Amino acid sequence: MNYQSKANKYVCPNDRQLSLRAKLRTGWSTARSEPPLTATEREAIAAVVKRAEKVDEVEARRVGRIVARLEGMRRSAQGPAPRSCLLCGETSRLLAPLRTCSICRNTACPKCVIEMPPHRSPIYSREQYMCNLCAETREMWKKSGAWFYKSLPKYILPERKATRRYNDTELARSLQDAGNSSNEGKTDSEPGSPLSVHAPTFSRQPSNTDSRKSIVSSHDTHHDWNETDILSHGVSGLSLHRTESLNQRSVAGLKRTGSKGSAYSIRSIRKEISKPLTQPERPTTIPDAGFGTLEIKLAYDNGTSSLAVTVLRARGLIGMDMTGLSDPFCRLEILPREGTYSNRLRTKTVHKTKNPEFNETLHFFGITESDLAAKSLEIVLFDDDRYGCDEMGSATVSLRDCAKSPIQLRLALSGATGTEPTGPRVLLALCYSTKKRALVVTICRAAELPPRDSNGYSDPFVKLHLDPDPYHKKHKTSIKWRNLNPIWNEEFLFETRPTELSRQNLTLTFWDKDYGKPNDFLGSLVLGASSKGRRLKHWMDCIKFPDHRHEQWHSLTDTQHL
Amino acid sequence: MGGSDIKWQKDAADQNFDYMFKLLIIGNSSVGKTSFLFRYADDSFTSAFVSTVGIDFKVKTVFRHDKRVKLQIWDTAGQERYRTITTAYYRGAMGFILMYDITNEESFNSVQDWVTQIKTYSWDNAQVILVGNKCDMEEERVVSAERGKQLADQLGVEFYETSAKENINVKTVFERLVDIICDKMSESLDSEPAMLAGGARGQRLTEQPQSNTNPNCNC
Ligand SMILES: Nc1nc2c(ncn2[C@@H]2O[C@H](COP(=O)(O)OP(=O)(O)O)[C@@H](O)[C@H]2O)c(=O)[nH]1
Ligand SMILES: [Mg+2]
Ligand SMILES: [Zn+2]
Ligand SMILES: [Zn+2]
Repeated sequence: MNYQSKANKYVCPNDRQLSLRAKLRTGWSTARSEPPLTATEREAIAAVVKRAEKVDEVEARRVGRIVARLEGMRRSAQGPAPRSCLLCGETSRLLAPLRTCSICRNTACPKCVIEMPPHRSPIYSREQYMCNLCAETREMWKKSGAWFYKSLPKYILPERKATRRYNDTELARSLQDAGNSSNEGKTDSEPGSPLSVHAPTFSRQPSNTDSRKSIVSSHDTHHDWNETDILSHGVSGLSLHRTESLNQRSVAGLKRTGSKGSAYSIRSIRKEISKPLTQPERPTTIPDAGFGTLEIKLAYDNGTSSLAVTVLRARGLIGMDMTGLSDPFCRLEILPREGTYSNRLRTKTVHKTKNPEFNETLHFFGITESDLAAKSLEIVLFDDDRYGCDEMGSATVSLRDCAKSPIQLRLALSGATGTEPTGPRVLLALCYSTKKRALVVTICRAAELPPRDSNGYSDPFVKLHLDPDPYHKKHKTSIKWRNLNPIWNEEFLFETRPTELSRQNLTLTFWDKDYGKPNDFLGSLVLGASSKGRRLKHWMDCIKFPDHRHEQWHSLTDTQHL
Repeated sequence: MGGSDIKWQKDAADQNFDYMFKLLIIGNSSVGKTSFLFRYADDSFTSAFVSTVGIDFKVKTVFRHDKRVKLQIWDTAGQERYRTITTAYYRGAMGFILMYDITNEESFNSVQDWVTQIKTYSWDNAQVILVGNKCDMEEERVVSAERGKQLADQLGVEFYETSAKENINVKTVFERLVDIICDKMSESLDSEPAMLAGGARGQRLTEQPQSNTNPNCNC
């Protein structure tokens, strides 16, 4: 944005001319000057900018959580010491020798390192381990976008609304120097996200760069940890004691915010259709991608600003349980979402069928006519299951077409893109070992576990058992202190036969370790013969292909099933 | 019960993703930028031409290589009169879709100028894909695919011919751009480990003998 800067190495002579022209507000395609923006145009643009600000704020909070998580990890680390683990403090044992982290060069026990994927870079060729702290730091660089902007974009910490920006700090500069020397001439403007500009002034000033501000003003807050520590976990920055002031921080902000609607948000008003529509089945004229079809009716009422969506029926859905049937329901949402409330409704569940008749009308309120032009309705079909509802297919329709008169549509469902679990989840590996005659269960790791302790973390461990199990074997993992994304990589054996397996279920329950009171329940998962969808598939794969490791993520459910 | 799962999914859908990439679609007016975005984000198309006012964006989350990537895709107006506004958004963009219309020679000739805009205003490791849109209009074609490819090679970027109308290569272009950015991400982290370890190296307190060759260790 800085036209004065001479040092842009990319700008060749022609381009200089061009940027001069850009500066003068004349284009390469036209010589005549353009009329200034009208009030309507300005309004439209300001609305977009405002929407973008919301996105940026949400993003700043997300980055803030990533930063806070790393910071928490850093605090709970034991610190480097001779012959002990940097993270958990465990000392070297015969079967678990310490590893050296190839990045920070500290030692860590096998449970606190990850093996690195093979790298092209010669730097990593010597050691193949990375400590969890370095791994998390690396994740933060990726997830926050810092890898691209060469410094952390602005963020908002979860508990106290503190914003930190790094553009003018020593750190940012040193990082830019260290990171990429080709940035000269560009470091002058903010490295974070210029997409967070305020509505620019649309008068014809030479440049509106100066009017750019970040959404959140960066009021200074006293951080008791310095910035270098967030970006890298230097030895010097490591806190050596566990007695931290972390629990003094309020954790309200860290808690999962339930998506309760605002006053404006929409309650589902369901109304059974008095008599089922007795329409003759029309031939399927639309291509069916193998995920079935869905019939809906859309009716907009501009008097009440409401949109009535009648979900009639679905045909040819994919089967999710052992018998090839499903328990489908539909989740409806108006997209794009606005602000923090989400405009979602769901139908009731129709049990044990691939051809459900829903015949249910759901109403969305507060839909304006301009919404119709810009928004669409997303319908996702899920298989109802208490251990996690799997997506069976989805369709999106633009609302444009129902503005004038009600329409009835038959939609081809497309395959589930969202089958990767989100939210609290576990990475689990199953392997039936014919040699050991046992099911080998590896609890690899979990992610985004709910915080249950007042410090904003949990101390998770997992209990697991097979049911029915003639040996009544019960296993437990170790406890990962203050960790919402614990890595266990712990293996457990259940003696059983493949024929038995197809009648058994594996139950995992996740707990937060508490002293002096009962452990808090974090979530559970049941895999096995009576499970459904991806859980069933994982189980069957394990039976069908013994002596192979089958690794998969699964969502945890927050119901405690015993 | 299912309800609580839904709640989780709700929470998750809002912020639960691994990376956020900001992309920008640029090119002359009426080459099909808005249509391209609508096709991708909403799978819709309209033949009515509604000129984009300044800027707009849509958000879409995609799954690539086990990662959830949230895309904020900016659609820009091609006209000069919005240039100040649109270029302000170049700087945050990690990827650009530079579009021309295969039935419009002028839009193709402008590609070089758009490249200059990118180089002037964007962050310099931003990735670019060149796209020749409206490839369904074979009869009206004036820019051959070869010329497009040649120009892309010359610019050192990837090239696709697409149709927002017939939904040809739309998804491919976005996925490819996400992949390119992901590659760039790994590459930049691998080549700049200094970013990760900061001052930590060299300050290590102990020299631990390396014992990672123990074959008995299977934890
Ligand atoms: N035949 C055909 N027409 C298209 C295609 N993409 C866009 N159009 C049409 O081209 C015109 C301009 O499209 P628009 O997306 O508004 O262009 P923009 O100014 O670049 O955003 C509209 O009438 C579209 O219907 C395409 O792939 N094929
Ligand atoms: Mg447009
Ligand atoms: Zn350890
Ligand atoms: Zn390390």
